[in-house]
Amino acid sequence: MALRRDPASGNSLDSPVKQIQIEGLVVMKIIKHYQEEGQGSEVVQGVLLGLVVEDRLEITNCFPFPQHTEDDADFDEVQYQMEMMRSLRHVNIDHLHVGWYQSTFYGSFVSRALLDSQFSYQHAIEESVVLIYDPIKTAQGSLSLKAYRLTPKLMEICKEKDFSTEGLKKASVGYENMFEEVPIVIRNSHLINVLLWELEDKSTVADKHELLNLSSGSHLEKCLQMLMDRVDEMSQDIVKYNNYSRSLSKQQQQKHQYVQRRQQENAQRQSRGEPPLPEEDLTKLFKPPQAPPRMDSLLIAGQINTYCQTVKEFTSQNLGKLFMAEALQGQGS
Amino acid sequence: MSRFFATGSDSESEESSSAEEITPKATGTAFNKNLLLSDDEEDTKRVVRSAKDKRFEELTNLIKTIRNAMKIRDMAKCLEEFEQLCRAFLKSKAIVDKEGVPPFYIRLLADLEDYLNQLWEDKEGKKKMNKNNAKALSSLRQKIRKYNRDFETEIANYKENPEQSAEEEEEKEEAESGSYSESEDDGEGVTAKSFMKKKPAAEPAPEASKFLKGAADDESESDDDDDDEIWGSDSTDSGSESEDNEGNAASLALAFLKKLRRSKRKERAEEEAEEEGLEQEGGEWEKVKGGVPLVKEKPKMFAKGTEINIPVVVKKLNEILQARGKKGTDRAAQIELLHALAAISEENNLGQGIMVKIKFNIIASLYDYNPNLATFMKPDMWKKCLDCIDELLDILFENSNIFIGENIAEDSESLAVSDQPFRVRGCILTLVERMDEEFTKIMQNTDPHSQEYVDNLKDEGRVCNIIDRLLQYLENKGSTEEVCRVYLRRIMHTYYKFDYKTHRRCMGIQGESKSEQDQEESEGEDSAIIMDRLCKFIYAKDRTDRIRTCAILCHIYHHALHSRWYQARDLMLMSHLQDNIQHADPPVQILYNRTMVQLGICAFRQGMIKDAHNALLDIQSSGRAKELLGQGLLMRNMQERNAEQEKIEKRRQVPFHMHINLELLECVYLVSAMLLEIPYMAAHEFDARRRMISKQFHHQLRVGERQPLLGPPESMREHVVAASKAMKMGDWRTCHSFIINEKMNSKVWDLFPEAQRVREMLVRKIQEESLRTYLFTYSSVYDSISMETLAEMFQLELPTVHSIISKMIINEELMASLDQPTQTVVMHRTEPTSLQNMALQLAEKLGGLVENNERVFDLKQGVYGSYFNRDQKGGYQQKQGYQRDQKGGYQQKQGYRGGYRSQNQSSY
Repeated sequence: MALRRDPASGNSLDSPVKQIQIEGLVVMKIIKHYQEEGQGSEVVQGVLLGLVVEDRLEITNCFPFPQHTEDDADFDEVQYQMEMMRSLRHVNIDHLHVGWYQSTFYGSFVSRALLDSQFSYQHAIEESVVLIYDPIKTAQGSLSLKAYRLTPKLMEICKEKDFSTEGLKKASVGYENMFEEVPIVIRNSHLINVLLWELEDKSTVADKHELLNLSSGSHLEKCLQMLMDRVDEMSQDIVKYNNYSRSLSKQQQQKHQYVQRRQQENAQRQSRGEPPLPEEDLTKLFKPPQAPPRMDSLLIAGQINTYCQTVKEFTSQNLGKLFMAEALQGQGS
Repeated sequence: MSRFFATGSDSESEESSSAEEITPKATGTAFNKNLLLSDDEEDTKRVVRSAKDKRFEELTNLIKTIRNAMKIRDMAKCLEEFEQLCRAFLKSKAIVDKEGVPPFYIRLLADLEDYLNQLWEDKEGKKKMNKNNAKALSSLRQKIRKYNRDFETEIANYKENPEQSAEEEEEKEEAESGSYSESEDDGEGVTAKSFMKKKPAAEPAPEASKFLKGAADDESESDDDDDDEIWGSDSTDSGSESEDNEGNAASLALAFLKKLRRSKRKERAEEEAEEEGLEQEGGEWEKVKGGVPLVKEKPKMFAKGTEINIPVVVKKLNEILQARGKKGTDRAAQIELLHALAAISEENNLGQGIMVKIKFNIIASLYDYNPNLATFMKPDMWKKCLDCIDELLDILFENSNIFIGENIAEDSESLAVSDQPFRVRGCILTLVERMDEEFTKIMQNTDPHSQEYVDNLKDEGRVCNIIDRLLQYLENKGSTEEVCRVYLRRIMHTYYKFDYKTHRRCMGIQGESKSEQDQEESEGEDSAIIMDRLCKFIYAKDRTDRIRTCAILCHIYHHALHSRWYQARDLMLMSHLQDNIQHADPPVQILYNRTMVQLGICAFRQGMIKDAHNALLDIQSSGRAKELLGQGLLMRNMQERNAEQEKIEKRRQVPFHMHINLELLECVYLVSAMLLEIPYMAAHEFDARRRMISKQFHHQLRVGERQPLLGPPESMREHVVAASKAMKMGDWRTCHSFIINEKMNSKVWDLFPEAQRVREMLVRKIQEESLRTYLFTYSSVYDSISMETLAEMFQLELPTVHSIISKMIINEELMASLDQPTQTVVMHRTEPTSLQNMALQLAEKLGGLVENNERVFDLKQGVYGSYFNRDQKGGYQQKQGYQRDQKGGYQQKQGYRGGYRSQNQSSY
């Protein structure tokens, strides 16, 4: 089913990629990959191949990564990728590495692992993107495929590995502007489009009713559950930070007192004509406490944000459906 | 020989000898110089010596150092020198071939082997030896064995006839020295060389032969002294032997013998008395047979013809007792002597007073036999001890005119047969108490799964018997305090035994009336009545807290064991023991824990699940039930417990026959936790703040969940977990089949005396709790449910269902109402759905999050402004932390504490 999305308005992208065009084949392959290998909360990953045309990234093919198991720890991913790409080149397929894809479980994808790998991709190949495929939403009737890139600000921070409060503040990176979503266009050949139209024309009404499923409880519950987990993590993180800042300020106070005392003493000594006490290294006396890295909490916040978005989207849709159903029932009775 | 040298009792001569003898070790000439002070000019002049002399001199020197090393037990040195000696001997092989093996060499080999064997035998001494020495000893022993194989015949010859060989050599040397014909006058003219020969020759002779010869001749003390001098001079001044008894090897040997006897006497101090008597009255030494130095026939107690009367016997007794506790005292011999003394006094009809006194001492020395507190009595000793105590009690019962007491002074004793009653110092109660402790120790140290244990346990009857008799005795004669003590002993032997007789009788009376016969058969007093009587006496009369505490605990235990739950519980609560048990000593705490556990099990049998759970919670939740009940040590690393502590803990262990079955305990605990926890979990499924009732139970559930593959349950725990799962679904039949089946019956339930009743109770409980769980879990899917259906589902009577549901409604656990005419439960459906619950939880969490966030913000806002405020807060938290620490330490310290109270105060 072809799904077109308008490029998000007002999204001022200064990155080299402003639009992504995905071949229907790639979408099918990703979906198939998940269906065959991913179960439940397991995540499947793969490599995207394609090329950049002006500011448009065209993804023309992909290949999956094998699932990780404990047994083959010595499996060499790089080796595998290189060989795959070489083989694909032999059969005249686009072999340029343009990013990777990953499935997600109820929209939980904002994680440290994703950040790290996307950073390394984007660092090496500037135009790379990560495609997030949500199989559960797709199963409910609407294909969910999103492309993300790290914002240049976040790239800067990751490059410097400065995740302290100050660093983040300076870069003015918030959870909202960690990732940027790139609009996706799915492109099919005309023949396929024709076929699809025809199929749609032929298909019965019942086939399309999946969208109208009214049951919402389990999905929402799941979302809430995960949201709660994240909130717990967030709480912990905040408590940690709180402790840190408290100890920091306490130390500041101590330092202050120490300096004052030293000054007083020196003044006394001066009045008595003695030489002032030697200066001591304050940083040695008061070692500042280890600042907790803030990246994790930022990521959690980002994740919470995505959860909230999904829940919001889901509930608004469902409310609409419920109203519709009510109206229908009123009509029926 | 080893004893002689090792003990060093013969101080003067040995000191002097060793002091002088060590110096000349260096070289032969220096040696001569040193020793032959008088004729050292002559000596230096003499330069020419035959090869044989040279070699032999070397050998003799080495031999001498070896002997010295032997004397001071320096095994390392011995080994070293021996190796040198072997080498030297090889060097002089040519001469040896010509002349034959020199006798002194053989002598050394034989002596050394004997000596080493002796040392080897002496386990005590070996233990004391340092590592180096011990190592050297073992290697040297092996070496000499191997080496001596080559000289077997010679050694055998020598052993047969050491004296002769010594003399032979002596003569030979005489001849030799004669042949050398240096300026040799009778006074001090023995040449250095001849001395060399003679010295080692003379020395080993007596040493080797001392036991063989025995001290045949009886010389006077003064003579002895004379010899002593001679010996002394002999060893210090090399040449002087020729002064008095030059060349008289036999008499020299004799002198040694004399010496030896003396030293031996000194070391075996307990025999001193007899020997004195012996010497005074011309008593005679028996010959000690062949080469086994330690076995000696018992000498006679008194000289013939001595009038044996009480003072003499008492004197003797005191003599024997003086050796008590001294190092090196042969305790076994002491016991023998005391027995002999008892026999003698009996023979001579000295009366019961002295007899009692001796018996006291025999028993005391039997206890003394083991110097170590940790070791236990050997079976024969134990038997002897029991016999002795029995006899003593016999005497005491027969003769009511004997007064015994600890406070009777030694000199105010009256032992003589007269009109006045006997007064003897000693405390029979202490002896019996000690005996009881020994019995416990024996049981602790026997493998509980062996026949030996059963055999030992048979003695329990005798122990009880003795205690009973003592009890009778003291009831008449003893003070209240003593009676309390002996009562406690009696209680200690009664409280843990299930009174099957009474139990059967009760059952019989309930059932049929034909058991009259049985009733008559079981004449013995009901243990409950005995316990009651004894304990009440103690409650009333005892003045030491400990005895009363123990008695109360035992009483509760006994009640609990016999399912008298209310009495047991009331007694426990009235005693207020929970408040201060943590101050008691560990054995009492163990007893407390045992009582608590028994109480819990009793509550379970009575169907008081909550009480059972509370009582067992403390013991079980720690995971150290085994340790807390004194039924075994937990494997822990040595950091937490050093060897000393371990020993102490081992001594606290309860003997196996008193153990409480730990599996039963755990099963009871888990099942009661299940019956409480599963409905609770169902009721509070969505409660974010629900607390676990039992951590351990949850732990087991989690373990069960973690299993990748669930087979049919095997162990008791798996059964309970499986049952819990079934119960969660409200499936009481499955739950029932998991809890009560063949396996569980044999493992757990059949251990109860009233197994059938307990099982019935359990089924009932399972049905009820399953019903509750079912209603909690599935009430949301019902609009209304008929009580009849429920009654059928859970096989309960309608009224019971009605009452359970009513209770749930009253407690606001179930949002429903009862519709009387239709007998249905109508649900109100006010419970939030799971999604709503979730949302509520989330809201709560978000609230927390916001709060935390604001705190961060606060800090940012006023770093200085709110400083004091915050500091106080921080201080408060710190204090809290400190308290927590304290608490932790506190709990750790009271390892054996059971905190029944904290749980129970709320429940009662």
